[in-house]
Amino acid sequence: MAQIAPEIFNGLILGAFYAVVAIGLSLIMNLTGVINMAHGSYLTLGGYLAFAMVSAGTNFWFALAVAPLLTVIVGILMERTLIRPLYRRDPVYGLLLTFGISLIAEEAFRLIFGTNGVPFSPPVHLQGAISLGFTYFPAFRLFIAGALLVIIVALAIFLNRTRFGLRLRAAVQDHEMIAALGTNTQVLYMVNFALGILVAGIAGVLAAGLLGLSPQSGNSLLMPAFVTVIIGGMGSLYGAVVGGVLIGLTISITTLYIPAASEISMYVLMAIVILVRPHGLFGEEGLFG
Amino acid sequence: MNRNRVGGIIVGVLFFLLLLFTPEIARAIHLSISVCSEVLLFTIAAMAVNLLIGYTGVLPFGNAAFWGLGAYGAGLTIKYFHVGFLEALVCGTVAAFIGALLMGPFLLRRRGIYFALLMIAFGQVFYFVAYRFTDITGGEDGMNFARPLLATRIGMKDESFYYAVLVLFVLVGAFFWYLVRSPFGRALLAIKENETRARYLGLNTDRFLFVALLISAALEGLAGAMYGMSIMFAYPLMLDWHQSGDIVLMAILGGAGTVFGPFIGALIFVVGNDLLSNIISWWQIPLGILFVVCVLGFPKGLLGTALDLMRPRKTGFAFEAQTMHGTPLTADPESNP
Amino acid sequence: MFDSKLDRKSFITTAAITSAGIVTGFPAILKSRADAADEVRIGMDEEFTGTYATYAQSEARGAMMAMDAWNKRGGVMGGRKVSFIQEDNDNNPGIAVEKARELIQVRKCQAVIGAVNSAVALSTSGACNALNTLYIDTGGHADDVTGAACHYSTFRTCHSTWMETHATGYSLAKKFGKKWYMIIPDYAFGHALQAGYHDVAKKIGVEFVGEDLTPLGTTDFSPYLTKVLNTKPDLVLVLVQGDDFVNCLKQCSQYGIVGKVSIGGPQVELEAVYALPKEARVGYWGIEWYYNSPSCIGTGNTEAESFIREYRQKYHMPPSARSAFGYISMDRLLWAINKAKSTDAAKLARTLQSVKFHSIWEGEGYYRDVDHQLMWPMWLAGIRPNGTPNDPYDLFDIVDRQEANGIEQSVSEKAAVCHLNWPT
Repeated sequence: MAQIAPEIFNGLILGAFYAVVAIGLSLIMNLTGVINMAHGSYLTLGGYLAFAMVSAGTNFWFALAVAPLLTVIVGILMERTLIRPLYRRDPVYGLLLTFGISLIAEEAFRLIFGTNGVPFSPPVHLQGAISLGFTYFPAFRLFIAGALLVIIVALAIFLNRTRFGLRLRAAVQDHEMIAALGTNTQVLYMVNFALGILVAGIAGVLAAGLLGLSPQSGNSLLMPAFVTVIIGGMGSLYGAVVGGVLIGLTISITTLYIPAASEISMYVLMAIVILVRPHGLFGEEGLFG
Repeated sequence: MNRNRVGGIIVGVLFFLLLLFTPEIARAIHLSISVCSEVLLFTIAAMAVNLLIGYTGVLPFGNAAFWGLGAYGAGLTIKYFHVGFLEALVCGTVAAFIGALLMGPFLLRRRGIYFALLMIAFGQVFYFVAYRFTDITGGEDGMNFARPLLATRIGMKDESFYYAVLVLFVLVGAFFWYLVRSPFGRALLAIKENETRARYLGLNTDRFLFVALLISAALEGLAGAMYGMSIMFAYPLMLDWHQSGDIVLMAILGGAGTVFGPFIGALIFVVGNDLLSNIISWWQIPLGILFVVCVLGFPKGLLGTALDLMRPRKTGFAFEAQTMHGTPLTADPESNP
Repeated sequence: MFDSKLDRKSFITTAAITSAGIVTGFPAILKSRADAADEVRIGMDEEFTGTYATYAQSEARGAMMAMDAWNKRGGVMGGRKVSFIQEDNDNNPGIAVEKARELIQVRKCQAVIGAVNSAVALSTSGACNALNTLYIDTGGHADDVTGAACHYSTFRTCHSTWMETHATGYSLAKKFGKKWYMIIPDYAFGHALQAGYHDVAKKIGVEFVGEDLTPLGTTDFSPYLTKVLNTKPDLVLVLVQGDDFVNCLKQCSQYGIVGKVSIGGPQVELEAVYALPKEARVGYWGIEWYYNSPSCIGTGNTEAESFIREYRQKYHMPPSARSAFGYISMDRLLWAINKAKSTDAAKLARTLQSVKFHSIWEGEGYYRDVDHQLMWPMWLAGIRPNGTPNDPYDLFDIVDRQEANGIEQSVSEKAAVCHLNWPT
């Protein structure tokens, strides 16, 4: 029991990371049809920006607040210049273009920050472990768990309870109609993309503190995020959360009992879900086939 | 015969002669002959991918799994069973074919983005298998094996190997040429245009897609097996989605709706890579820029754009001429001029 | 979009001009690559792009210093200058093969050195062998390079994985005790390390209280670290590499393992440790060569001293083990070419093997004739988190040394797997 409990908790944290990244991906995919292969690069960018700020002397909290915003600015620049021409076109365009961007980004990180990765530590008072009775648990992980939960809840409220969120969801259903009804779709797309990148930026800073920061570190979260989207189903926030959590738990538990199968476990899970529910657990019929 | 036909045949013959004399040309201009083989092999892989992207309208972003399966299939049989050249080639092709057989039922349940994501994910499964079964595949250290003899007697040095590759290239090119003009090819184009309509016309689109996937996988496995035997090595990166992306880029750069566009794409990619990597260590940046420029500026690829310009401006036969070369990458009205 | 005649014409014109430019310019670029002259050309096939770029660069720098030293002394084979051609294999074994062929066939290199990544070393070794060219694996550690995949034309300078596990195994047992816990990455390198340490355990009676295989890219070592705390070993062997290594050590700090259980492992590199966060700079690790230790470079070793001094002057940082690999490989290669008065691979190989020599470490070494592995000592060092007051790079505190003959597989064991296949 003492062995499984921290494992489950870690699985939940990992799953929350996947869910948050998947939500960002999903937001962009649902509305615009662009599969953002560069999503991992935004995670890494957030991490490196935070690292640069902390190295320059600011504290971690400031970096956590500001780095994602800077990442969003970069994201919006990308969106307006490169990605906008691809909206609603054949998905292969978005896939290839963002793949190209991810290559450029990875190499740029390597040139600017070095190939070996950089040391990025959580703030001093978050280091160290807290006793949870039956086991020790790193304080930083608890913080991350809380932060990710806050992000997910905030997103849920934004998408389901605000007017803007309503327009976003309406646009996913029928973007022509919502334009006809008077919404400025360009602004909508931009805000949607920015939201996806903001989430990625925050996750990136958190991930950098937990998992380490190197030119490829964001990409390691990308593939599981894709699988999360497939399992959870596109167009569904709940799906991303449930999918992410499922994957996180599957990987941690498999790691404990059958380590050799742990990477493949999420693909096995995906295969099972696809066989049983081809649109993912909460996916909606007709969205992107 | 119209002017375009004659022009096409002349270009074809010149092209073939160029390839035939490539070893001599390569020696004269100080280019390694095995790089020339590499170009042709990647062309075959890009053609295989082209069948799915340009003619069927699906996104095979996990296709490198077949390339890698071909190499590992050949390599494993050479290393552990000491087979000859042709046997290894067949085994590699069959390995890729089986890979597609396994993947197919899952992939075919979805289309569009889902298909792409699923294929990426399944491609990664094969990558992990190669990585994991260290005792058999050598894991991340890769697997080295000798280049087997042809018909147990003929040694295959780099130059004779090139001619073997050339023979395969001509066969595959001819096969592809006729495939896209056959009823099967037409059916694929119809599915690409509008799958629902094709289904209402009575086509079992799932079955056509599956066959296209199998053919594509087999061709790519064939090329991968040859490549493995060229470098006498197989390694997990061959199965990775970065490799998939490179091959898809070659297909699109050259022209996804054309038969020989992939050659242009492979040529630019392989030779460009070779030259650039000696000059700068950060050549992934120009590569990424190439992706971006290609997608935004040349959606039909270089050959596609060129063919577009040279096409006779006759309204009645426009569709005929267009379908001979495949339709442009997207079928939606917003991007067509 | 394209329906005006002007557009079509201008496109064709542009295409024609571009093609003409390429066709005429292209061979000019390529021809300049093949001008041979009367020099001896050594090729380097390295991972200058990608995750190992820093190591590749160190190896190249070391090799260049050795080459410069020889050229200053008058070159080889009666005054012929040595030149060095570097090609980037992008950490990709397929490209490494193509580059090796290019170096040999197009750029007319008479020998090739290089590699950081084992897969690259293996593929390059095979490619050079097919072209009957001498190849020295500077930094690829996989046992197979001088084992099942050995060739008469392949030599290796860095230590093999077997040597790493045995050197560190003996030293760590001596220093900390014989109850060990092992955290092993679940891929080829990890399995090789595991097998090596099992052999050490057999030889000196080590007990494994626990062994865990961790998947690729494990970011979370807490399950294993909690087990470590519970089983109370003398030492936890951390075999994971790269980013996993950083995470594991960080978490060792977070979980309070540092101080309770000793931490050790097969090897660590100066370039990597320098980039580690302070809380990860812990443990005792195998070191293949170090610039600031009498145990390593000896006292009064003028060759080592001038190597270190000149390297530091030129590059503003001390040479690392990687630099040493490059230096030693190039130095011995040129020595062999000079001695054999030939660049024929078989002649060179016979000249290079078995000869005992002194170089930039204390003691002698030789490339063993059964497998062409360089037999030289290996060291164990603790990490000084902050270096020394005068030198932030002085991160290693060498505490032990193991001689080559005790740490590699015996001649008879190797002869069973390695068949050099000399040409008749």
